Amino acid sequence: MSEAHLNQSPDPAATDDAAVDEHGEVATSPVPDMDVPQPAAPDPACQLRVRDLNLWYGDQQALKHVDLAIERNRVTSFIGPSGCGKTTLLRCFNRLNDLVPDCQVAGDIELEGESIFREDIDITQLRRDVGMVFQRPNPFPKSIYENVAYGLRVQGINKRRHLDDAVEWALKAAALWDEVKERLDDSGLSLSGGQQQRLVIARAIAVQPRVILLDEPCSALDPISTLKVEELIQQLREHYTIVVVTHNMQQAARVSDKTAFMYLGEVIEYGDTDELFTNPQAKATEDYITGRYG
Amino acid sequence: MRASLSDIRAWFGKGTPWIWLQASAVSFSLVLLGGLLVLIAVRGLSHFWPAPLEEWVVRDGQGTQTVLVGQVHRSEWVDAGRLREAGVVVPADIDRVRRHLLKTGNRDLTGRDFTWVLDPDIQARTRPDSLLVLERSQWGVFFGRLAGIREDGVLQDLSGHPWASLTQRVRRAASLRERIATLENKDLASVNYRVNRLERDRQALIDAAAPDQLADALIDLEAERITLQAEFDGYAAELESLYVEINRDSLLMTTPGGEEVEAPMGVVLDAWRPNHMATAEKLGHYLGKLWSFLSDAPREANTEGGIFPALFGTVLMVVLMSLFVTPLGVIAAVYLREYATQGWLTQLIRISVNNLAGVPSIVYGVFGLGFFIYFIGGGIDRLLFSESLPTPTFGTGGLFWASLTLALLTLPVVIVSTEEGLSRIPRSVREGSLALGATRWETLWRTILPMATPGIMTGVILAVARAAGEVAPLMLVGVVKLAPALPLDGDFPFLHLERKFMHLGFHIYDVGFQSPNVEASRPLVYATALLLVAITLVLNLTAVAIRNRLRERYRSLEAQ
Repeated sequence: MSEAHLNQSPDPAATDDAAVDEHGEVATSPVPDMDVPQPAAPDPACQLRVRDLNLWYGDQQALKHVDLAIERNRVTSFIGPSGCGKTTLLRCFNRLNDLVPDCQVAGDIELEGESIFREDIDITQLRRDVGMVFQRPNPFPKSIYENVAYGLRVQGINKRRHLDDAVEWALKAAALWDEVKERLDDSGLSLSGGQQQRLVIARAIAVQPRVILLDEPCSALDPISTLKVEELIQQLREHYTIVVVTHNMQQAARVSDKTAFMYLGEVIEYGDTDELFTNPQAKATEDYITGRYG
Repeated sequence: MRASLSDIRAWFGKGTPWIWLQASAVSFSLVLLGGLLVLIAVRGLSHFWPAPLEEWVVRDGQGTQTVLVGQVHRSEWVDAGRLREAGVVVPADIDRVRRHLLKTGNRDLTGRDFTWVLDPDIQARTRPDSLLVLERSQWGVFFGRLAGIREDGVLQDLSGHPWASLTQRVRRAASLRERIATLENKDLASVNYRVNRLERDRQALIDAAAPDQLADALIDLEAERITLQAEFDGYAAELESLYVEINRDSLLMTTPGGEEVEAPMGVVLDAWRPNHMATAEKLGHYLGKLWSFLSDAPREANTEGGIFPALFGTVLMVVLMSLFVTPLGVIAAVYLREYATQGWLTQLIRISVNNLAGVPSIVYGVFGLGFFIYFIGGGIDRLLFSESLPTPTFGTGGLFWASLTLALLTLPVVIVSTEEGLSRIPRSVREGSLALGATRWETLWRTILPMATPGIMTGVILAVARAAGEVAPLMLVGVVKLAPALPLDGDFPFLHLERKFMHLGFHIYDVGFQSPNVEASRPLVYATALLLVAITLVLNLTAVAIRNRLRERYRSLEAQ
């Protein structure tokens, strides 16, 4: 049922809105593009390109020379021991690290060929393009409906009919519609943990992102809820590029197409998931996936 | 011995004595608070109960015999020697003597409200049903007996039901008095207010208008003035006839001493026979008196009557203060917590804000007087009300300045608790909103502020509690002993922020310590204090109820 809805365009207003935004970008983008040396023609399969990214929190370097190409409509997972920089890297993609005082970044990330560290970038637009789901479910203390509609209302979309359509579509896409359609006005906090996490995913996809970042999305959930969220990830990859941070290697093996192993701020190994788990190239990767540390 | 020592040590080690200590500290505070409330309540509320009137035959040491009528106010034991030193004749064979303070009323005749009577001097104590209490608009209460009623100077035949005739006449006078009060306080006051405004407009016109238009405008104003004058004359004539009406009847009363005095109905507010009343009747009387205490204006230099203007002024001032302090405090706290770069400067500001809460309130009063009233108020007068100068409009204490001064006084509390409320909001919620493409402002407005409302409400609760009980600064910035008019009435602009007002806290001080008749007004002080506590409690409970409802909504999120 949700498949059928995923295939059709969700909501005429939302697409119109996106067109306006694209138009706005077209008007502003040529000028800086002239100055910036164009990289080699962007690989159409590559959604996010990380180039020599370094990040410091104060004096401490949290990311070292990260180079990655994250592919379109694939699930990429970051694994590694705690404190290895997985989440930090994830939070670079929607520039949420900007909020951290003394955080400094060198290097570049391109979203579909355009640097996200450009001076003139519309950061709210970037965050709409790159949605994020957090470790713990964090619905707002509002109704289920208002939670999903939040991103749209922020964009100034307040027409009830458009919101109704978008909320229904997003909840169906997040496989939550059947469970909550009778009580859309209940508080989002009244849902169970797993439902809350899917609500948050619905909230993220309601604004039509291109990339969805999931930061240990199942770490606070029970096994059945985890299973549901993993199934959902499998469904969503048809339409979105998904990046998952997880400390659960089985989960990475189950859901992801590509896996990056990180250790002490560096990407040690990056490749197809099957390959990485069955035939790791680096000693550190092998030690980690065989459980020798981490 | 050793074993018991180690037992004690173990007892200490388990922390039991500390729990006892804490529990006793809590119960001590509760007992103090409860005792205070009970004391205030009993002393204040018993005042309105119709106490029995006693008739005493007293023969003092010199052998003079008098008849006294009154209510026993209090009784105490005193040392007989001390009384002898003071020149009171006390029988030689006793050391201690009991004496009673009798409220005798009839201040106009005897010059005082209270008399001390030594217990041994009392020859006879009776409670005759015929004794009567008259509540009067001047000279306090009258105790005595009804001798007759005059209507238009003609003595009425009272052989049938003197009491029924009396109560019916008292009721008639009360309704006339109500009409008089409406005329004086509403209609005439309104005309006066409009006349004053007209005069101000005229002055402004003379100052500003071009000479050729001046004449026409003045004619218009003169026409308006004549209409107002006619209205005034109409009211004045009606008032005069009402006064004649109300004084149609007069009561002939016998004093305890046996003299006959006449009391015009115009001064008699109420009459009752406390010894003749059944309990249900007493209860009705009690509730009626309690209600008139709450709803009437004070009389006789605040020592009698109600406290409505003070009650009204207190509540209105607190409400206005909340309206001023809440936005100001919330905005300041939001900037400090959400936007300002955290560093030594914000830390310094926080320390200063906390210290502001410790500044003595009279200092705020002085600041309000100097800055708000003289500087800003004076400026407003020069700019907007120059035609009525040198009489100040805003350049003198008033409701607006008092509310602002108290808002300043309570600002630190609101800032601190709002900041606390903001800091309790989990980071994940902010990030969730930002990650959806909301700006910081949108995040703040749509999510953070609604979630911080319980914290904000806590601040407002504390601010209200503090402001309602504050007296010292108010004396400097607009509270008066007796305000001629309420700050809210039917004349445009309805809320008169420049007016002076009355306040319960100041009323307590004034009645209790500045009054010419402290003993008589003491119960009123207790009653007023009880009311002030009750108001603070009601305002607080309302805010707490609102806060708890809000908190319920966010509880599961805060638990994270």
